[in-house]
Formats: sequence, structure tokens, C-alpha cells
Amino acid sequence: MIWLTWRQFRAQAVTAAAAVAAFATLLAITEPRLASLYTGSGFAGCRGGSCAGLANAFLGQLSNATPFGGPQGFRLLPAGTNLYVTVYAVGLLLILIAPAITGVFWGAPLIARELETGTSRLTWNQSVTRTRWLTVKLALVGAAAMAVTEAFSLLQAWWAAPISRATDLGGSVSVFSGGRFSPFVFATGGIAPLGYAAFGFALGVTAGLLIRRAVPAMALTLAVFAAVQVVVPLWVRPHLFPPDAAIAAVESTHATFSDFSGAPTLSAAVVPGQPGAWILASGAVNAAGQPVTALPAACGPASGTPTAGSAFGSDLGRCLASHGIRESVSYQPVSHYWPLQLVETAIFLALALALAGFCLWRLGPPRLNSRPAEASQRAVGVEATVRSE
Amino acid sequence: MIEFHLDYRSGVAPYMQLIHQVRQALRLGLLRKGDQLPKVKDVAAGLAINPNTVLKAYRELEYEGLAAARPGIGTFVTGTLDGGSLAAHQPLRRELLRWLGKARRAGLDDESIEALFVSTFRSASEEDIA
Amino acid sequence: MTAVIAAEGLGKRYRGKWALTDCTLSIPAGHVVGLVGLNGAGKTTLLNLATGMLAPTTGTIEVLGERPAAGPAQLARVGYLSQDAPVYAGLSVGDHLELGAHLNPGWDAALARDRIDQLDLDPRRKAGKLSGGQRAQLALTLALGKRPELLILDEPVASLDPLARREFLQDLMGTVAEQEVSVVLSSHLISDLERVCDYLIVLADSRVRIAGPVDELLSAHHLLSGPRRDPDTRPAGCQVISASHTDRQSTLLVRADGPVVLDPAWTVSEVRLEDLVLAYMKQAAGRSDRNRNRHLEALT
Repeated sequence: MIWLTWRQFRAQAVTAAAAVAAFATLLAITEPRLASLYTGSGFAGCRGGSCAGLANAFLGQLSNATPFGGPQGFRLLPAGTNLYVTVYAVGLLLILIAPAITGVFWGAPLIARELETGTSRLTWNQSVTRTRWLTVKLALVGAAAMAVTEAFSLLQAWWAAPISRATDLGGSVSVFSGGRFSPFVFATGGIAPLGYAAFGFALGVTAGLLIRRAVPAMALTLAVFAAVQVVVPLWVRPHLFPPDAAIAAVESTHATFSDFSGAPTLSAAVVPGQPGAWILASGAVNAAGQPVTALPAACGPASGTPTAGSAFGSDLGRCLASHGIRESVSYQPVSHYWPLQLVETAIFLALALALAGFCLWRLGPPRLNSRPAEASQRAVGVEATVRSE
Repeated sequence: MIEFHLDYRSGVAPYMQLIHQVRQALRLGLLRKGDQLPKVKDVAAGLAINPNTVLKAYRELEYEGLAAARPGIGTFVTGTLDGGSLAAHQPLRRELLRWLGKARRAGLDDESIEALFVSTFRSASEEDIA
Repeated sequence: MTAVIAAEGLGKRYRGKWALTDCTLSIPAGHVVGLVGLNGAGKTTLLNLATGMLAPTTGTIEVLGERPAAGPAQLARVGYLSQDAPVYAGLSVGDHLELGAHLNPGWDAALARDRIDQLDLDPRRKAGKLSGGQRAQLALTLALGKRPELLILDEPVASLDPLARREFLQDLMGTVAEQEVSVVLSSHLISDLERVCDYLIVLADSRVRIAGPVDELLSAHHLLSGPRRDPDTRPAGCQVISASHTDRQSTLLVRADGPVVLDPAWTVSEVRLEDLVLAYMKQAAGRSDRNRNRHLEALT
């Protein structure tokens, strides 16, 4: 069964390996310059909380760099585009879509294609049970899907290490922004991609088993996977691990003002002393800790009511502080990065295993010789797949 | 080695056709004592018929004493068919020609002659059995 | 002798319709069994139940004494050829043999290779480029390579041209002669079944109408023809399967399980297999028409 799985999967494995190799080559070519820019900039040696300026300088240099330094560097891209920005973005994209691609192109047709072409009837009548057939295919191709995605992720993590450090410490230049908790960076770093790959693959296989036709199964897999990848970062991820809370001076949080239908809101931009933290919620609170619904009249800026989106100037900040108004922030600090990664990955892996288990149950041995009374109670998954007379 | 053929529209059971063809071959001298009959597998594969049909025919021939099976080797002809020596055929042939002449002079056409012959032959055979 | 397939009250229902009802069979080993019926009669359903591709709704079925697809050991004893002989289009003929070798512990590689050589199939050719007849031969090789005790073929020649059909049956009969394998094959072409089968099962309207060795069936059925009789005539000791009447003549196809004494006005002749099968199918159609009419009458 291992031979057959490999033989059927061979072409796709080679394509995936080629893609990984191509990506690795691209990164290898561009890495030396990146590394030298990093060590050359003052940023590398910077410690402590105020490295944002140096970080920005480094990232700025990077976004204008060419791989071999100087104008003689080879030009693959039209003038005006930037190689490092492009490579970084391509890397993120590859890691994000790899689970979807493997789910759609490897997972959905796994069972569906064999049912459509009838080859399942050939293979299931050799001396191997359906359970063993599916178990081997799920394990081998699923492992490959996870390996490919994780390969891209590890390569990107290695190459972009200096960039990640810079964004963590507050740097932000074009696409190099957001820090480790930003949706794209979180989803492409750590071990999360393993979970997504496993889930996407298992989702594809399940869709193929239920729909029994490859192309509709592929479409459904893509739709469901995309929906999950939108829902999870927005509504699930923030709650996967208990956040920390802090109350600080409005000014120190670099809060910005926004006015939605009359109620003023202050949104914190940073958590003082917690560079790279992910802010989940923030708002102004009074001295007693209760939310503030209106700014004190005395603290309007000299030139009138504050406009939405503007940061508070230090005069305004001092005024609010004198009225006892501070900013309350709920956030995930950098130290929660790995716990969040682990929990999210565990959830996706558990979903993947549940889906795989469902497929094995549905496809499993026919339940025969049941007494007439109970016979029609349990649906056997294969039935509808077989052409009826 | 003889080769068998089957006529599915003749209404005669396949195994009987095989037996007839062996007997015919014996009469005509195409098969002689000691010759091997085609292997069951080859007949079954050649004609696309059930091997049991061939086995049935060969068993019947064995029962009639015309053939014998040698396990692992094949089935061989062991008997002859005395369809009467050729000497006996000549007078019968002459009588038959005379009768045919009479039938034509009586006004019978080919089909009537054949029908008359077949029905008389059949009822005579039945009387033999009864 | 254990039956190769033993079914007791077997029934299968999908989407509210009974595809097979109350099927009780005991097919002995050592035969080439023909399963004949119109499309929709239940042949593929019965064969799918026998290979474990479906589970019964009622009743039981045992193949070679075990539950179908009960495990690798049971699967190894049964070879199967599905309708239209599906093969992996992207794999070569040689790859298919490797598939057989890897998935069947009892695989006889020499036998498989000999068959491919004799059939003149190029091992390097992709299976998708083979003709219909060649694909059927390749699929048969995969079914036979594991040296099964029972071979189940679902309409193996239905979509083949006459030459390919003949070659396939020749090959199958040659194999049956050499290896000790029981065969169950379904078809709606009675002429093919006549040549190769020595046991017959007729399925009509999702029920087994008749089953037994061909010799016994043929000797138990007779065609009676004679002067016109009352349509409800039942000659002594016989069961009328089908009857047709003109203004002068009546022809009945009857079943008699023992010797029969008949009115000498009847001419008795032998029944051909094709006529026997058609008579049972007509009988089934007649009964279901009468049922439908009775329902309609009850409604009016």
C-alpha cells in the first residue's frame, strides 16, 4: 500500500519538492545581503525598549537593497519594485496558501477521484481492506502536506529573522510590519502552519468522501478552509490564552482618538514596557477603573475638539491624566506567543484527527449480518458511492 | 489433431456436437486409434465454452468405449467406429439413388424429399428406442 | 462442499426502493455461474453485496464461508472485475502488476507476467491508452494474479466489441480449465452465458426467479405446443411459466420436476436456454404489471 500511495503521489511530491527547492534557492541567494545589512546597521546590537528608530532605519535600507549590493546587482524585477519586499511577501503567501493548495489538490481528490473513475473498485478488491487503504494514504500524503508547509515556514523564519526582530521592536516599513502577532505573521510562523496543513488536508479528504466528485470537493474545501482562516484570527485566537491587562497613562500608549457615532474612543497603539504585544482591546477608564464615555470639557485641544485618528499631544495627555483618566489595555504579551501557537496548533490538529477518524469510520468495514430490525438504522458511507443497478 | 467447431443455431447441445464430430472424424479416418484428442483447456479456450462441456463429451466417449483419459497427459482414442466397411456402403448407396429416382418421378421436390426422409428417420429411431 | 456464495433472505434497499428482495441462494463451487437479468434487475447490487462494497438491509450473505471483505485473508480469496474494467490511466501495465504484487500477499508474479505476455500487452504502455478489450484483460489479470478461489465479474464484456468479447471469454474459459476457480459472472447477453455457464441464476424485478445447474434446468423445462386451449389450462404435474395463444395454436413453456404424463395432443420439445430465461423474465414482468393493475383497480 505504501508503494501504491507513493506511485500515485509521485508527480505531486516532485512538484512540491521543486517548489520548496526553488524557494530555498531564492532565499539562499538573497540572504547574505540581508544578513550583512542587519549586522552593519546599528540595530543588530540594540537592546532594550527604544530600538524602534534603528529598526526602521534597517528596514528602510532593506527595502531599497539589491542582493549583491550596489547598482550592479542583477535585476529581475522592473525598476521601482523591491526585491526584498517581494521575497518577503512571496514567502508569506506561500506559507499561507500551501495548506489550502495541499488540501484542495492533494486532499479533495484522494478518495473522490478514485470513486469517480471507479479505480476504488479495483483497489478495494485486492487483498487490502478499505481501512488500511485509507489509513496509509492519509498518513503519508498528510505528512507530506504538513512537511511542505512547514518547510516553507522554517525557511522563511530563518531568512526573515532580522526582519521579525525589527518589527517586534516597533519597526514598520511597507510590508515589513505588524510584529509576530499580526495575522499574516502569526499564521506563517512557529508551528501553526503544521496545524493548518493537517486540517486543510483532512478537510479536503472529508469533502471528497462526502461529495464523491473531485472538482466540487475541491471548491468546497477551498471555501471552508478560507472561511476558517478568516474566522479564527478574528474571533477565536484572541481567546485561546488568557490575556494580560494593564492600565497606563494615555500618552504612553500612543493612543489615537476615533469617534464612532458620538462616543469618543481611545485606542492604544502600544503597551508601555511590552514591545511587540498584541492589543486585544483598549479604552479610557477613569480613576475608579470604569470606562469613560465622554472627554472632560476642559481637555479639548486648544484648536477645538480632537479630530478622529489623531494622536494626543502631550498637553492633552497631561490634562487627561490630571483628571484621572488613563488607558486600560487588554493584551497578549510576547511571552504568550508560544502558548498561543501551541493551543491553536493543537486545536487544528485535533480537528484534523477528528475528520480523519470520521472518514475512516464512514469508509470502514461493511456492517453485515445485522438483524432485520436494526438493519436500516446505520448508514454505511460507501453505499451511495457505488453505482446502483 | 482434430479441430472442433460449434453451431449454436442447430439446436443440438454443444457436448453432443463435440461427440458427433469425434465420431465423424473416426469414421472418416481423421482420427485413429492412439491419437490424442485436443486438450480440454484448448477446446474450452478455442471455442469459448465451459470446460465442463468438453469434459462431459469426453466422458461420454469414454463410456462408449471410444476414448480413455490418461490423467495428467490427456484423452486418447481407444476405439474405432465400425460404421460398416466401405464395401457395405456401396450397395446401400445404389439403393438410395434408386429410391431418389423414384421419388422424383413421383413428383416430389427437394424439400418434400428431405421432409419425408427426416420424419421417417425420426419415427424409425423412436420406435427403436421404445 | 461449501457454497461459494450463500445468501439467506438477502435484501438491499436504497433511496426507498428495494434493489434486491428476499434473495436466497446457495451457489456450489466448481461452476461457471451466470447471473442474468435486465438492467435494474439487481445483478450489480447482488455482486456488490458479495464483494462487501455494500451492506445488506435485510438477510445475510457469506462468501466462501466468511463475511464479504471481512479482512485481507477473505479478500485474497475472491477476485473481482468491476463493470467497465476501471484501471489507473496514469499507471503502466507493468505498474498495475506491481500494484497486484504489493497489495496481495498471495500474488503469483510469474502467472501474471505470462498472461501479459500471452495477451501481447506491452508492460510499458499506460493503461489509459489501452483499448476496452485490453483493459478488461488487464483487470482480469489483476483479479486472477492472486490465485483466487472465486472470481466475480460484473458485466465484463458488456462494453466490448464482438472480437474483444470473444477473446475475453476464450481467455476466461482457458483459465477456468487450468486453475480451479469458481466464476460468477453477470450479463444481460444470454448468448454469451449460454456458451460458458453451467449454472444459471435469473434475476427479474429484484428477485431471484430461478437458480440451478443448466443441465437440470433444461431437462426440467419443456415447450409444449398443440391446438388452441383455454388460456388457464394447466397440464398435469406442470407449472406454466409462459404461455402464448393464437386462434389455432397454444404454446406453453412449463416446468415439471418429475416425469410427466401428458395429453398426446401436445408436442413436447426441448427448451433452449434463451427461451427459458426470457420466459421467466416475462413472467416477472407480467406479475408486476398485474400488481400495478390491481393497485390501480383498488384506487378507482
